[in-house]
Amino acid sequence: MNTAINKQGNGLGGILKFVLKHNTIFIFVLLVIFSALISDVFFTETNLSNLLKQVSGIGIVSIGMLIVILTGGIDLSVGSIVALLAVAFAILVNMVVLPLAILITIVMGFALGSFSGYLVAYKKMAPFIATLALMTIARGLGFIYSKGSPVTFDSPGGTFMSDFANNSTLFVPNIAIVFFIIVAVAAVMLKYNVFGRLVIAMGSNEEASRLSGIKVSKYKFLVYAISGSLAAIAAIVTASRTNLGSPNMGVAWELDAIAAVVIGGASLNGGKGNAVNTLMGVLILGLIGNILNLLNVPSYPQQVVKGAIIILAVLFQKIESKK
Amino acid sequence: MEKIESEYRVEMTGITKSFGVVSVLEGVNLKVKHGEIHALLGENGAGKSTLVKILSGVHQKDDGKILLNGKEINPKNTHDGQVLGISVVYQELSLVNDLSVAENIYLHKLGASKFWMNWKKITKDAQELIDSLGFVIDASAIVRDLSIVQKQVVEIAKALSEDTKVLILDEPTTVFDPHDAQKLFTNLLRLKNEGMSIIYISHHLDEIFKIADSITVLKDGIDTGSMATKDINKDNVIKLMIGRELDDLFPIRDAIVNNTPVFEVRNLYGSDGFVKDISFSVLPGEVVGIAGLGGSGRTEMAKLIFGADKKKSGTLILNGKVIKTDSPFDAVKHEIGFVSEDRKEEGVFLPLSIRRNISITSFKPISDKFGFINYQKECDNVSALIAKLNIKTPSSEMNVNNLSGGNQQKVALAKWLSIDSKLIIIDEPTRGVDVGAKIEIYHLINEVAKKGVGVIVISSDMPEIMGIADRILVMYKGTIFGELPKEKFTEENILRYSIGEELKA
Repeated sequence: MNTAINKQGNGLGGILKFVLKHNTIFIFVLLVIFSALISDVFFTETNLSNLLKQVSGIGIVSIGMLIVILTGGIDLSVGSIVALLAVAFAILVNMVVLPLAILITIVMGFALGSFSGYLVAYKKMAPFIATLALMTIARGLGFIYSKGSPVTFDSPGGTFMSDFANNSTLFVPNIAIVFFIIVAVAAVMLKYNVFGRLVIAMGSNEEASRLSGIKVSKYKFLVYAISGSLAAIAAIVTASRTNLGSPNMGVAWELDAIAAVVIGGASLNGGKGNAVNTLMGVLILGLIGNILNLLNVPSYPQQVVKGAIIILAVLFQKIESKK
Repeated sequence: MEKIESEYRVEMTGITKSFGVVSVLEGVNLKVKHGEIHALLGENGAGKSTLVKILSGVHQKDDGKILLNGKEINPKNTHDGQVLGISVVYQELSLVNDLSVAENIYLHKLGASKFWMNWKKITKDAQELIDSLGFVIDASAIVRDLSIVQKQVVEIAKALSEDTKVLILDEPTTVFDPHDAQKLFTNLLRLKNEGMSIIYISHHLDEIFKIADSITVLKDGIDTGSMATKDINKDNVIKLMIGRELDDLFPIRDAIVNNTPVFEVRNLYGSDGFVKDISFSVLPGEVVGIAGLGGSGRTEMAKLIFGADKKKSGTLILNGKVIKTDSPFDAVKHEIGFVSEDRKEEGVFLPLSIRRNISITSFKPISDKFGFINYQKECDNVSALIAKLNIKTPSSEMNVNNLSGGNQQKVALAKWLSIDSKLIIIDEPTRGVDVGAKIEIYHLINEVAKKGVGVIVISSDMPEIMGIADRILVMYKGTIFGELPKEKFTEENILRYSIGEELKA
């Protein structure tokens, strides 16, 4: 009898089932078709590559957010870390050789993430509170070190980064390639590596994980450190694209990242979600902004539409999970 | 006072119900008299819960007839059921953790009553209700702070807080020790004598024969008959439940016992001072039973050994070497396994697949040094365990929350069988598990012991612990009060030690 229920339905029912199962990808495809129909500018190389460049920074941050959310946590500090480290990278790139500047920035990201990771994992602080505190601390430090104004790249290393960030390889913007590589690595780690297994297990039942002999605190610490490191990469990418580091960068990125992860079908309770769907979530959010721009919708109504679409996307997933 | 219109308080006839294409009940009859305790028996998945959920209005029947005191009823939701005087105590606790005991008991009235609540009166009424049951619980306490036993009592009080005519209890004693269970039975007999009809679902045949007036057995959604308890014996009931003879509930204990202990604990104290001065040893191939009342410190002691709780002092010796278990990670490293009594919260990962559940302890043999998992090896490993433990599932990708209690418990065990263990601690191995799966689990424990593993089994189920253990340690107030060798295994001896009495000479 069980096989009868599990058997894939055929015909129309089968298609519907398939669509519901892969609903994030389906919404994405639908949006692409819709965009192409209503605007003839949409499918131009300039527009698409701009779109990809715009979403890459938030996208990289979203992957870190996904890993944290899989454990049942949340990281509100990522947007501020992007601001602080964009400033730090701009200062560093003018001071030391480029590889060293990149390395130090990423190490700083790891350290900042470790700070909230330590509070959450070893001081049992609520993730929301620990990362909220780091969010205001990092933003404040960003303003202090930049003295409130953007720091412009002014070195050969800076010029190199800025060229890299604004060029494409085989029509794909370089920074989008960086983003896609991070998505691929995360997807592989979450699916095929013990690390991913443990992160998902912890999110679905932390006590059972502990009683299975897993060092829950260590992995909790690690996911925030990874999220901080990815925020550092996002900071480098974002600063390079605009040739400067500003303490006003990354405002509300943590919220966009959470939205992207949720649109990608992840559960805020942890234990459910994957990297490819988060990529789709990021692209969906980016597409919405892009279409509305092409339609000349002013920025305030854009925010309303964006919120509405987030709700619709999540409601759509509820239909699937009820099946 | 209601007028008695019919011989039966509840008459369910020809009840049929299916979920999708799965037929759960096929023409089931259930007749319960006024002032009667009627036991509903059957293996997990036989349809017991569905049947009572139809009576209480959680589910609606597809076909059939329900008469309450001779009048046809069709409860559409639980509120309808309550209005008709049908109350249910479910297996899964349904209390609101952040509210007080009194608020929980009268929760259903909070919405319906006047604008202002008379908290004083509610708390007083609740306290009287609990006192009348003979349990000590403060009605103004917050439910979160109660023990699982106390929560179950509150659940029962809640069901009795209205004008209940039909009380349905689904496995009410799983968390109770024999002493508390006895208290519950006294209450049920009193309620019965007051004219209440009680439908009692349980896997414990001893309980059933102690309190039930009549029995209905369900097997695969069909009732295999109703009879008076006095006209039937245990073996007949088991035969009706599983459809075969049952002569080997417990395996013959034939594990090779070597006389050098595989595990020894000396002077173990817990950091909170409750568990104190624990010393005992386990031989390879031996099954040591730990008995005692709820709250005697059995689970706490197990968690200390396993490193899940903090120790104050004490020495653990495994295979002659002193080991430290400051965390479950350490314990697992030393090849000690622990199966929790709280399957859903601490044992399995409900939303994850069987494969992911079983592999959680055994990544080493199936992954490379960078942690990448060999999927083929993993599947082979998991399939072998599913076959060995006879876990009933269409595939290893099935999520554990879709399995029955018995199969979930097997998954919790499989986790520790997938690696080599030297010592396995199993807390309540068969809580909420049907007879068929119970037998399989007992044989499994026996097989594990045969390999020379030391096994510690904690159980509140007296026949179980006497059937499976080679030796029983009885705990009382946080320490081991007495030890019983096999020839002294009797329920009386265990109970005497459990309440801090010496054995009769």
